[in-house]
Amino acid sequence: MRRFALRFLRSPEGMVGLVLLACLVAMALLAPFVFPRDPLSIVGRPLIAPFTDASLPLGTDRLGRDVLAGLMHGARASLLVGVFAALVAVAVGTVVGTVAGFAGGLIDEALMRVVDAFQVVPAFLLALAFVSVTGPSLPVIVFAVALGAWTGPARLARAEVLSIRERDYVAAARAIGMHPAEIAFKEVLPNALPPVLALVSVIVASAVLIEAALSFLNLGDPNIVTWGSMIAEGRNVLRTAPFLSIVPGFGLVLTVLGVYLFGEGLVEAMAHRRGRQ
Amino acid sequence: MGEPFVTARGLRKVFHSRGRDVTALDDVSFTLARGETLGLVGPSGSGKSTLARVLMRLIEPDAGAISIDGEDWLALRGRALRQRRGAIQMVFQEPLAAFNPRATIGGALDDPLRIHGIADRADRAERPRRIAELLERVGLPAGFAQRAVHEVSGGQRQRVAIARALATRPALIVLDEAVSALDVSVRGTILELLADVQKSDGIAYVFVSHDLAVVRVIAHRVAIMDAGRIVETGPTPGVIADPQSAMGRALVAAVPRLDFGRDDGA
Repeated sequence: MRRFALRFLRSPEGMVGLVLLACLVAMALLAPFVFPRDPLSIVGRPLIAPFTDASLPLGTDRLGRDVLAGLMHGARASLLVGVFAALVAVAVGTVVGTVAGFAGGLIDEALMRVVDAFQVVPAFLLALAFVSVTGPSLPVIVFAVALGAWTGPARLARAEVLSIRERDYVAAARAIGMHPAEIAFKEVLPNALPPVLALVSVIVASAVLIEAALSFLNLGDPNIVTWGSMIAEGRNVLRTAPFLSIVPGFGLVLTVLGVYLFGEGLVEAMAHRRGRQ
Repeated sequence: MGEPFVTARGLRKVFHSRGRDVTALDDVSFTLARGETLGLVGPSGSGKSTLARVLMRLIEPDAGAISIDGEDWLALRGRALRQRRGAIQMVFQEPLAAFNPRATIGGALDDPLRIHGIADRADRAERPRRIAELLERVGLPAGFAQRAVHEVSGGQRQRVAIARALATRPALIVLDEAVSALDVSVRGTILELLADVQKSDGIAYVFVSHDLAVVRVIAHRVAIMDAGRIVETGPTPGVIADPQSAMGRALVAAVPRLDFGRDDGA
């Protein structure tokens, strides 16, 4: 495990990703301490340009709200949605994929057709439809994003399980009379997990983007600041005050990049370990 | 020995692969007494591993019957089958592949004890003691329970596999090429261990191998397989001294000899 960490730290992608993610997490965690006031509250004149007022380093928006406070509080929403949506998607996907691959036959067919049905609808449309029906709140958005993301892990887990179930240790587990459910979830699933985990970074990145897009369309949670809603807010004054959209846009780009590079580093370190075995 | 412990009659299994039918088992019948070792010998693809797996109910045969201790073994389903599986255990060829890559030795031995409720009737602390006992039984120190399966050597791993098979107190162990992947020097000690266990517990073995030299030292009776059929069967010394089938003769001829005294003119 220590060697794994070392190899991860030595890969340039992983290192850059780690630094970006660390900054993001620090922003999210420090937000309530640095800006204890509601980031939606008015703190000054509207439309102060960035770097002109020392107490409001990134300026204010059309209503006089602090952009830096919004940026830091917005990191919380992005991270929460990204991480929890990926968790839900991987958990549901892996369980469905494992059951499908291990049970085979009719159960496999039925589950995989459900996966197909979800996969033919674009993830964003699915989230959009779900949120507009159930109403925007953070848990609903997490679920809506996971709805479009669980099919990837399900397919990958199934493919992995199909190969693992033919191994001798599964036969050995059957020979000692282990219950099929125990074999599937205790013997097979943990060994099918590594390639699925490599998908996590892609899911987190797309979840962050989908959440931003939903907020941009005013389908985000109205009680919290998100980067998507900040961009939408700035759109009305894009010509006179472009920084209002550019600042949270940068946040998004760096987050997605950070998550993605971090994932790349993990995959690379993992591939090394596999190659050694 | 009276009523045979295992009776297999007319076993048949055909695999379908890419439009071709491969007959792995073709009308295979045999019997096995308690405490007896049947050596199952044949070249690759002769169906001996398929027979081992059919016997384990890991593969379902297309036709035929197996009775174990007078009971219809192929009729068992679900829970009843899982409970009865304790009576028949298996040791695989590749000891590394036969264990979950994440397993510890203690964990691997704990599973059969837990599933068959062998130790936890009295109390939970009984299980570690049983695990230590099993390890000692196969000649490994009790401290091995904490180790990961992939940390120990191939021979030690196969000892753990034998300990796992012994955990359920079986009456029959199917050994599928159990010593073929092992170092020659380790092979002998594993065969000795198997013979000792048989002597003390009266366990029957089905010993699958392609190597007649190994079968000769462990099997009481030998069955020679060729293309899915048993072509010859009889007491081991007799079959080796005077094989009747073509495959039997080929296998006997393939056993390397160390006859320094005689010049074969080769």
